[in-house]
Amino acid sequence: MDADMDSGIPDHRGALRYLWWLVVRQRGRVAVGALVGSAWTVGLTLPPYVLSRVIDDGLTPGNTSALVGWAAVLLGVGVLNAWLAITRHRTMSKVRMDARFRTMFVVVRHAAMLGAALPRKVAASEVATIGMVDAFRISQTLTVTGPGVGSVLAYGVIAVLLFAISPVLAVVVLIGVPVLAVLVGPLLGRLHGAESAYRERQSELTARVADIVGGLRVLNGLGGKDLFADRYRRRSSELRSEGYRVGAVTSWVQALTVGLPLLFLAAVTWLAARMAAVGDITVGELVAVYGYAAVLVVPVTFFIEGGYEVSRGLVAARRVVRFLAVEPELRDGVEAAEGPAAAAVLHDPVSGIEIPPRTLTALVSSRSSDSAAVVDRLARFTGSDATWGGVPLTDVALSRVRDRILVADNEADVFTGPLREVVAGRWDRDDDAITEAIRVAMAEDVVQAMPDGLGSAVDAQGRNLSGGQRQRIRLVRALLAEPEVLMAIEPTSALDAHTEAIVAARLRAARTGRTTVVTSTSPLVLEQADLVYYVVDGVAAASGGHRELLRTHAGYRRLVSRGAG
Amino acid sequence: MAPGSPSTSGRLPIARPSQVRRAALRLIRSDTRAFAAMIVLNVLAAAAGLAGPWLLGRIIDEVSGGGGVQAVDQLALAILAFALVQLLLVRYARLVGHRFGERTSARLREQYVDRALTLRSSVVERAGPGDLATRGTTDVEQVAITLRDAGPDVLIAAIQAILITGVIFLLDPVLGVCGLAGMVGICIAARWYLRRAPAAYLDAGAANSELAEILASTASGARTVEAFGLQARRVAACQAAVERSRSTQLRTLSLRSVLFPVVDVSYVIPVVAVLLVGSVLHGNGALSLGTVVAAALYLRQLSQPLDTILVWMDQLQNSGASFARVEGLAQAMEPDQSSGQHSNPGPPSSSLVPADDQIAVRDVRYAYDAGPDVLHGVSLTVRPGERLAVVGPSGAGKSTLGRLLAGIERPRVGTVTVGGIPVADLDPELLRRHVVLVTQEQHAFRGTVRDNLAIAAPSATDAALGAALCAVGADWALELPGGLDAEVGGQAIRLDGAQAQQLALARVVLADPHTVVLDEATALLDPGTARHTERALAAVLRGRTVIAIAHRLHTAEDADRVAAMEGGRLIEVGTHDELLAADGTYASLWRSWHGRPGA
Repeated sequence: MDADMDSGIPDHRGALRYLWWLVVRQRGRVAVGALVGSAWTVGLTLPPYVLSRVIDDGLTPGNTSALVGWAAVLLGVGVLNAWLAITRHRTMSKVRMDARFRTMFVVVRHAAMLGAALPRKVAASEVATIGMVDAFRISQTLTVTGPGVGSVLAYGVIAVLLFAISPVLAVVVLIGVPVLAVLVGPLLGRLHGAESAYRERQSELTARVADIVGGLRVLNGLGGKDLFADRYRRRSSELRSEGYRVGAVTSWVQALTVGLPLLFLAAVTWLAARMAAVGDITVGELVAVYGYAAVLVVPVTFFIEGGYEVSRGLVAARRVVRFLAVEPELRDGVEAAEGPAAAAVLHDPVSGIEIPPRTLTALVSSRSSDSAAVVDRLARFTGSDATWGGVPLTDVALSRVRDRILVADNEADVFTGPLREVVAGRWDRDDDAITEAIRVAMAEDVVQAMPDGLGSAVDAQGRNLSGGQRQRIRLVRALLAEPEVLMAIEPTSALDAHTEAIVAARLRAARTGRTTVVTSTSPLVLEQADLVYYVVDGVAAASGGHRELLRTHAGYRRLVSRGAG
Repeated sequence: MAPGSPSTSGRLPIARPSQVRRAALRLIRSDTRAFAAMIVLNVLAAAAGLAGPWLLGRIIDEVSGGGGVQAVDQLALAILAFALVQLLLVRYARLVGHRFGERTSARLREQYVDRALTLRSSVVERAGPGDLATRGTTDVEQVAITLRDAGPDVLIAAIQAILITGVIFLLDPVLGVCGLAGMVGICIAARWYLRRAPAAYLDAGAANSELAEILASTASGARTVEAFGLQARRVAACQAAVERSRSTQLRTLSLRSVLFPVVDVSYVIPVVAVLLVGSVLHGNGALSLGTVVAAALYLRQLSQPLDTILVWMDQLQNSGASFARVEGLAQAMEPDQSSGQHSNPGPPSSSLVPADDQIAVRDVRYAYDAGPDVLHGVSLTVRPGERLAVVGPSGAGKSTLGRLLAGIERPRVGTVTVGGIPVADLDPELLRRHVVLVTQEQHAFRGTVRDNLAIAAPSATDAALGAALCAVGADWALELPGGLDAEVGGQAIRLDGAQAQQLALARVVLADPHTVVLDEATALLDPGTARHTERALAAVLRGRTVIAIAHRLHTAEDADRVAAMEGGRLIEVGTHDELLAADGTYASLWRSWHGRPGA
């Protein structure tokens, strides 16, 4: 199957074009699906026909060879249909799989490409829904390419067979079945409507269970269980009442979907039986009519479900297309520059902060978001008038900025994978480099605590690590990237004083000769900084050495030694 | 930081098959009438459905025998009438079944929540919230699907299949035997399939979750992806996950590729057999042509209910396993007597009332599950009303001590008592009036700000709630649209970790215990907010006993006494000045905190 997911740019000019793109990417397989799907639906008409021949020719006493012959044909048709059915199922499963995976892949690739702009444009949960739910719906839509095409053919074949028996019966059946389908179709729609309201309530209730369980620790410690139990019981009985309402509708739908075709079948049988009674048709033909009418339900149902699936698939495809049309916020100008040739001063006019090159600078603020905003401007995560070596950052190519200036967020995501890969980041790094970065971040114990050292698997969001371990792993990753400029947000906030002191000193040593910015309020980190900015309300209120600021600035002193000053 | 995290050995139990059967019977018995009505209606509906082919057989006989149009009309009218009766019976059978399923799944989920709410703290902590939540959501829903859809469907199908088979035997026992013999293939294929399918579908599900995780994490971590240039890695990870998912799905497809053809062919074989044998019997004059045709049509009809059963087969298996997990909670409620590792595993008793507010720790040793001791003989007397700071490096056992003090864990050896009574033995209602633990892992409940606070003080006035919020620096909560009635948690207003933390602290203020254990309770807050909150909290808690656990030393200097821990031992206890003078562990920590060499 297609290992080359990466090939091809989706046509995202419209929902229909996108669906067509998914078809064209696997045109061979879709063609096979249409062929086998048609053969299968046509094949469904064979058993009633053969059965009628068995009855008419074979069951007449003394006609043993015809009986055995037709019985063998019946068996053969059964085997052929079984083969066609599974071939169709296999082909269509692969068609759906390909469409689903391809859509997911395209969504992931686009999400990765959008980068920091994504959260501002689309909610992460929305992206997950598009990639999982919508991709699935789209894949279901492609079913119409197989049995859908086949249904048209089957309808025609049955029409021909019925006309051969009796034109009157043919007209009744060929018009009756679609009318029936049109009658049952809206019922199914109504069913989906009634159930979606129910499901919404149900997922709300489910979220409530997760909420209660997630907060059990609190409820155990502080009480309030009765409150939650009562509220849950109330919601649960509301869902039950809603369920009764749904049940009243669904039971009718279920009964009618089974019952209406049966009623129709009874009417057709009646008509055919009268014809048989007066000798217009044979007994075998009577049975065949009965069988055809029953078989015709299959293609007609496919039409209806197919129509429903296509409409849902188009909605889903529209959402995918809309997501694929989202573009990154920051764009390079016409003349994207390389940036300064050598290490240069970074300047943020909004806060008045200047980062001297090849030094360790610390930003201190009572509101963490203030320092983070400065960093975002200096690293061009937001557009601003910040400059680098006198050049406006907005003139420097974004890719060069990302290559040269690295922002290591405190809550930066840790992705799943072996520890070695997690810390290596973009490039693969050799074990010596990794070991050194681990030493600087005092993360030896993290590696030792894991079952397979650097080869151990890290869970999603680093859930199998403690907060302090995660933070040190993030720091290892940032150090290994060896950026020209490293801007680390609160890199040691979860570490104990002893560890923090060592990490701060090693960080300083490891980054000697390169530009490093940290935001922190810990005296252990500030002690190591060459230059400290005290940021108040987003603006640099004072700057200098840590000790100097401790002496000269009461607000700074209060902040970094909390309570103690 | 997290304590030596309770490991997976604290998993919740799973009900044994016998217990599952008993529980299922209990559910049926609590709604016997509906269940009986469901069976009766379905039998009647299935019986009505059998009339069609039989009457068609009679029509054929009439036609073959030269019967007139009138005889045919009567029989055909009967077919129509039976179809109508069947339609109505199916409707009421479905309705009764649906209501039964709805009622029973409501009973099941409510029972689950009730049980979860009565679980002991230590059980909850050990199991981790994940398993408990999965059972309460996914598993309960699985069982509900079976009760509402799969169960009734399969029940109806089974009744139909039994009746159809019975009718064929009634028509002619020899034809019945032929029909049944042809079905052997289905049983063999189904057995073969059921042995392999659960594991294969489980793998496919896991691969799918992995794919979903990659998708979600790439979207939520898009900024990190950009900052570190991880685009290529994410795309490669997605590709690898797609490949894994594809191969697991191909595996389930290959299982179906065996089952489906065997089943399809198995439907044809009995029809062929009945026709061959029937023709011989018909030739002998033992059977009418109509009987043979009716038997053949019945056998073709049999494929419908059997397909239904095959389709739901996996679901029934899954929901059976889910039901066992849901019922497993019943065992988790019983106090754990088997482990024997706790010195005093008696259930909390309401008869025990502490004599005073004095908390004492006597030579306590503690280990998580079967692991090594993380506390090695800790003794400590907390003076009522004092502010005690517990400091030390990560992994020193601070958080574990906090959990013991709050009665969440029981010491392996030694005692932790309040007013002479073991803390963990106190009735939860009583315990929370004495000791409350606040950690940095907080939870904002779905609901209003008021709901979130009322947990601790159901009868508190708005003024009291507002005062509690202000006391912890959470004035922002009052400024939300709707104030105390603002919906937080869930979809509405998302609170960040710091805000949830402040709500938690406000709850403690409202609960008003005499002792509060704060385990890094302000670590998530902004430095400025943290300072403000700590001060406000200190003012509110004046006169209360406060045990503050911190890896930072901010709070230590303000505390009445400092307890320094290292490697699971209490190294030093004394006032800040005493410990500095003693020049031990704490003094060295303090010096390193202030950046002076010699640490």
